[in-house]
Amino acid sequence: MFNFILGASLQPGDFTGFTFFIGSVSMLAATVFFLVQHGQVDKKFKDSMLVAALITGIAAVHYYYMRDQWAAGLGSPTELRYIDWVLTVPLMVVEFALLTGVGMRKLFWASVVMLVTGYFGESGVTGMLDAQSWGAIAGLAYFWMAYEVGCLTIFGGPSGEVGNALAKADGKIPAAGRMLQWFVLVGWSIYPLGYMLGTDGWYSGALAGLPLNMDIVYNIGDAINKIGFGMAVWSAAK
Amino acid sequence: MISSSNYLIPSKIFGLIVSLSIIFFGIESSYSILFFLFIMLTIGIPHGSIDHLIAFINPKTRRFQNKFYFFVAYISLIFFNILLWIVSPYLGLFVFLIISCYHFGETQVLGYTTTDNKFLNFVLGANILLSLFLNNIFELQEILYSFSFFSNIDLSSFDKIFFLLLSISVLMISIIYSDVERKVLLYAEMSIIYLIFFHTDLLTSFSLFFGFSHSLPMLLIEFNEMKENNFIKFYIKTLPFTFLSILFGIIIYYFNSDLLTTDNLILFIFIIISSLTLPHVFIMKDFIQNK
Repeated sequence: MFNFILGASLQPGDFTGFTFFIGSVSMLAATVFFLVQHGQVDKKFKDSMLVAALITGIAAVHYYYMRDQWAAGLGSPTELRYIDWVLTVPLMVVEFALLTGVGMRKLFWASVVMLVTGYFGESGVTGMLDAQSWGAIAGLAYFWMAYEVGCLTIFGGPSGEVGNALAKADGKIPAAGRMLQWFVLVGWSIYPLGYMLGTDGWYSGALAGLPLNMDIVYNIGDAINKIGFGMAVWSAAK
Repeated sequence: MISSSNYLIPSKIFGLIVSLSIIFFGIESSYSILFFLFIMLTIGIPHGSIDHLIAFINPKTRRFQNKFYFFVAYISLIFFNILLWIVSPYLGLFVFLIISCYHFGETQVLGYTTTDNKFLNFVLGANILLSLFLNNIFELQEILYSFSFFSNIDLSSFDKIFFLLLSISVLMISIIYSDVERKVLLYAEMSIIYLIFFHTDLLTSFSLFFGFSHSLPMLLIEFNEMKENNFIKFYIKTLPFTFLSILFGIIIYYFNSDLLTTDNLILFIFIIISSLTLPHVFIMKDFIQNK
């Protein structure tokens, strides 16, 4: 019980375990920060701040679990990561709907398709199609989402309803929206990359010769994406 | 719409703290029956123990001329439900699920939208129960082993994430097509409830939801509606019928004689709860409509 915060069960030199520990405490700290800021921001941003706190709060719970699993020598906590993503990804996409007031239906559908088909590909539970085909469908849903929120406008491309609403919004919302678009386009790309590199029948083993651990990539990427997402919303609200 | 800040948020935050404590400190599932009984006896049953008082608060929704008619109707419904379980356990379970879906959904939307949309109430309640069952489906199969149609389904090729994903997907689709004023917050709260369902066993999940998301907020709203100055005095008013309900359960168990289940205490408790719930749902429907 006493290693709840300190993570005393981690071995010295266990860098991967350390990133799990950093993940859990940074998410917890971000949750506290967003909850404190919830009381400071304008009324129209309160729901956004609450959702930002929930995203990091849910992640903090799961990183706590993941750290324990890793420290117990039970290997990479893929299952816990999925639980975390299943719960937090939809909450992240609704931040766009909260900022703009449009597009919730499309973004929810895109995230449902992305998560479900991604899971089908990784687990093989359906017995139909291969990992690449399911991954392609999940990828299409991701790009649909990226288009909807206006990520392609970064390169002068077209935009969906949410992206247009972000660009036309008042105050600091367009700038915050641009940050969120970068997070979706670049930050979220680690998840399909991890899927392709970690799923049998795709590029699994491609990084075997490199000193790169996908857990470290996910841990750092998750912290940047989730906390950064909330910080971008906070920057619009403050 | 009932002011959410006064009654709903404090009890739900308290429930969240209890839930996270249970998750973090890894309380063994062997304690779940004790936790369940504690929640039922202190919050769950008391929130329905003053139905005989709240049924007469609002003249517009009052259905009974006096308390005699009220008790006749109330007790008849309880015995009707027990009879239903004896004659056809499948039908008993079906009725319990249908009324629970409506009842849980009706109180879940408080603070997010009005309770006027009956279909929405039902759908949200169904979502909650679906998630509770899906996230603990292997345990549920053990409890409902006498329902061979359900317990014989082979789900071994599916892992728990599949059921979480399924329940979250159903929730998302339900939310986007429903007419709710504060959709995102409702979705966010239900995500947390689903997280708790996933990480705790069936009894603990039900206790946490039923205790802190349903019963405690309703108990506080009842306290406010009865215009009592002191919560202790109000709570004492719930005790007579709480004790009667416990006595009712003990008597039914004692004279069970194989009519209900003899070797599955959890299922037996749920049958008693369902019998107490049936009349309570009608009273609460009027009580909430009043707001």
